[in-house]
Amino acid sequence: MRVCVFALAALWLSRAAAPGVDLSKALGTPSAPITVEVFSDFECPACKAFHENVLPELMRDYVIPGKVFLASFEFPLPMHQHSRQAANYAVAAARVGAYSPVADALFRGQESWSASGNVWGAVAAALTPAQQKRVQALATDAGVLAQVQSEIGVGQRVPITETPTILVIRGSRAIPIAGRLIRYELLKQLLDDLAKR
Amino acid sequence: MRVLLGGIFIYAAWTKLHTPWEVFAISIDSYQILPLRAVELVARSLPWFELLVGILLLAGLWLRSAAVATSLLLGVFFGLMVRAFATGQQINCGCFGPGELISWKTLLRDGSLLAGSLALTWMAFVRRRRAA
Repeated sequence: MRVCVFALAALWLSRAAAPGVDLSKALGTPSAPITVEVFSDFECPACKAFHENVLPELMRDYVIPGKVFLASFEFPLPMHQHSRQAANYAVAAARVGAYSPVADALFRGQESWSASGNVWGAVAAALTPAQQKRVQALATDAGVLAQVQSEIGVGQRVPITETPTILVIRGSRAIPIAGRLIRYELLKQLLDDLAKR
Repeated sequence: MRVLLGGIFIYAAWTKLHTPWEVFAISIDSYQILPLRAVELVARSLPWFELLVGILLLAGLWLRSAAVATSLLLGVFFGLMVRAFATGQQINCGCFGPGELISWKTLLRDGSLLAGSLALTWMAFVRRRRAA
């Protein structure tokens, strides 16, 4: 919910973003000095922890003030039975402007839908009836499926070995940080140090 | 063995020193054994210590001390990795920068390096005893 509120408060601009970034899933100013790309899997517990504990602070301190541009990439792991379907729904929701509420809902209800397989139940709860119809149709759209595959491809080229992995980009330098337990204090220190350079 | 370990230590130090210290700190922190202040101290100092040990090993200087330091470091690293693996923590080993999960492969590699280092330490002391 907090991320959703921050998301609505953040700027949604459509210029100068890095290639491969879906602006409907990104938050902040694309011209911010630092870009943080997050590769995550909706069925991964560490991604849920990152989304719920680290992301709200990152939004508050860096994205909303315009210091960081935050881009999300789907990286559903084959070991998770329903994460690909969740990623399809999330990308479909992005096309109706509802990525953040759906991502919040998917992570919040992760334990429930990953056990039951009812991914749609979690997604639908975050959408209006009109959005539900469009997202359900878009989730099987070839363009959406291709986008999810394309984002996986971007991650494989990093290469991503685990989720969540974040890529901190400052100028031409990209620093991958892979960690199931990313402490916000250390990420903040890194961003502050990079901002000074 | 001395040259191999020296080269590996220098490479390990380089992978950490060419990225901001916070990246290594996040790897150390994922083991969940040190408080934040200690994590920062280790992240800032350990790569320089690895570099020093690597240079001493390569140059063959203060060999007994360097070999003991290498064995102690590798012993600690290996013990922590075994502990993390045995408790099911799927974390980065942090050995050569980010992106390497602890697995049977990393345990076998670091275990072999530890065995080599212990052998080097033993030989360094035996050689000294013979020289005396």
